[in-house]
Amino acid sequence: MGQFTQFAINGLMSGAIYALIAVGIVSVYKATKVVNFAHGYLIMFGAYFYFTFAVIIPGQEWAPEWLASWKPSWMLEMRKGLGMFSPLGAVLDWMANIPRILLGLVGAVSCNAILGRVVERTLMRPLMGQSVFAMIMVTVGLISILSGSASLIWTADAAFVPHIAPNTPIRFELFGTMIFLFGADIVNMLIALLIFGGIVTMVKFTKAGIAIRATAEDQSTAYSMGISVPKVFSNAWVLASTTGAVAGAILATRNGISPSLGLFGFSVLAIVLMGGLDSYVGCFIAAMSVGVLEAMTQWKMGGEWAAIVPYVAVLVVIIFRPHGLMGQKEVERI
Amino acid sequence: MTFNRREFLATGAAATAAIGTPMILKAQAKEYVLGASLPLTGPFATAGQLVAPAFSLAQKLFNDEGGIAGIPIRFVTEDSGYVPQNTLANYQRVLATEGNSLVAYFSDSTGAMKLIAPELKGDNARLMGSTSFASELADPATHPYQYLSGPTYQDQFDILMQNIKLAGGSKIAIIYSNTEFGRDPLEHGRAKAAELGLEIVLEETTKPQGADIPTHVTKLAQSGAEHCILHGYVTGVWPQLIGGARQFGLPVQFHGTFWGMEKLIADRITAEAGPFLAGYQGVMPYRYFYDRDDAPRYQQYAALSKAMFAGTPLENYMSTWALQAMCGLELAMKALRATAEAGNELTADNVAENLSGISDWDSGGFFGGPVSMTNNKIGTGRVYEYSPETKLFTPSSDWLST
Repeated sequence: MGQFTQFAINGLMSGAIYALIAVGIVSVYKATKVVNFAHGYLIMFGAYFYFTFAVIIPGQEWAPEWLASWKPSWMLEMRKGLGMFSPLGAVLDWMANIPRILLGLVGAVSCNAILGRVVERTLMRPLMGQSVFAMIMVTVGLISILSGSASLIWTADAAFVPHIAPNTPIRFELFGTMIFLFGADIVNMLIALLIFGGIVTMVKFTKAGIAIRATAEDQSTAYSMGISVPKVFSNAWVLASTTGAVAGAILATRNGISPSLGLFGFSVLAIVLMGGLDSYVGCFIAAMSVGVLEAMTQWKMGGEWAAIVPYVAVLVVIIFRPHGLMGQKEVERI
Repeated sequence: MTFNRREFLATGAAATAAIGTPMILKAQAKEYVLGASLPLTGPFATAGQLVAPAFSLAQKLFNDEGGIAGIPIRFVTEDSGYVPQNTLANYQRVLATEGNSLVAYFSDSTGAMKLIAPELKGDNARLMGSTSFASELADPATHPYQYLSGPTYQDQFDILMQNIKLAGGSKIAIIYSNTEFGRDPLEHGRAKAAELGLEIVLEETTKPQGADIPTHVTKLAQSGAEHCILHGYVTGVWPQLIGGARQFGLPVQFHGTFWGMEKLIADRITAEAGPFLAGYQGVMPYRYFYDRDDAPRYQQYAALSKAMFAGTPLENYMSTWALQAMCGLELAMKALRATAEAGNELTADNVAENLSGISDWDSGGFFGGPVSMTNNKIGTGRVYEYSPETKLFTPSSDWLST
């Protein structure tokens, strides 16, 4: 049972990241009916922006020293004699990075918001009124533009970024088994869940959220009711880009920075289809299920199966519920 | 028999054409072309972009030395995105455009080598090196024109397991990426472990990028392994696995293979995440670039790098990945030059024959001593260990041959 709990928690932590990625795809779809195939590459840009503001800028000669490493005397005193992986040592090492982590997050979210708005205004807005298929094809083209631009700006060099939260090892015994968790992964999961919950609440209870839901129901009716549909489109893209920036930063801390980060979006597309393209809650359930299923399959059957089993489950769900777990039945698919 | 003037001229012209046409057709090229596909984009773009400058350095170096029997060489490099089909298309394109001037090709993955192998027949065959150390390719009977510029992944496993045995290890884990590259030496590794009396307590496969680190580390902890071989990774996963295991408090000794032994990656991880790679060991076919006191060929590279790549990180350091490409090109050039100097055409058969005959080659420092091509590979390497303090990989074994 202890083992089961260990792998279930591992799966939930992965699932939370999938959910954070999925929220961007669902947001754009709900507002615009466009499946954004380039979402993974928006995430990749978020990761590179985080790298720029948390690593490149603090490393410049002109940047203040405290930005790269904030080490007041009391911290140095406390750090003395602590091992690299001691819980307190890990927290203190992380605290020294707080200024650049904050700069990185603010920079990544801001720049990705601008990127999302630019994409919407220059590529999507001119196609309003045209077929949705054309807009979807534009997102496919956007993949090449974003991946090529990232290589031009940052090159393909692999790099590493500071953890958003202290990566303190956490150990406790459960059902006679020692459970081990990474502190940063738990915080990443909480961040992902908070953002996800915040967006669902916003869509349900705020005016902007109601505008998104109304646009999702029927764009013409929403227009006639005084809702600025172009603004909803724009906000949806900004929402997807900013959540993507956070997801990108988290993925970068887990896997390092490289152009392959863009590929994550594709695996999450299957999860979104499983949950329902227009359902936040459905996607959340699907993301968590796939995360746990992956971890359990890896545990019991090994990695070869872990790459297949969760996606077989996705297919099975889609066969029996073509609109996904909680998607609207009238959804038109490509 | 008598000829009138017209008959004499016509016969003479026909004879000249008959004798001269083959000579015209076989006229020496003004330059020889060596093609290459590199993963300049895609999942292994980091490696591809570090290797690419080696080709411009090689072109300058080899041409300064007289090219191939006095004829200059030119490299044609293209991006493959690490997609084997793209590499095949690149090869076919350069074959069509350069024709007989194309004398060798450098491919960029095991998958591409296997995909292209059946195409290497008759006039379409060329000598072909690559980034791959796939064991299947080290067989002249099935892959006569393809070669490895070092030991196969199976050989690398042999070297690592011998070293683990010498260190008194008994329980090992093998963690590998779910790719052709990752799976390559598995079966052989199992047999070798049994032969050496090593118990494989965990065989764990992971995604090549973005693996679920907590899950893999948990399984490693449960396995009770003393040593863990990581294989099938380039820039990612292996550092995160080691970092996770260290946080877990696991005293496992980690071992890597060629593609997970790059100093640039180890240094970047150390700078960002701390010195947790201390003691990380792995097999490396070549001397590292900074260890060039006894490596005259490296010294030539260093002098050229300083001039050609001034102001870039490549000015002072050549990655192990670029060294592998350079070693492959050195071998190809050696075979091409030997073929040309013997007065033979640079056909794939002639060049491959010279390549397989390379014996006691003084590589100028790549390897510990003179090496020979056996089964189209060079089965030698040694174990290095990383130190975060010095930021260097230093030898922890002698040169071992398989």
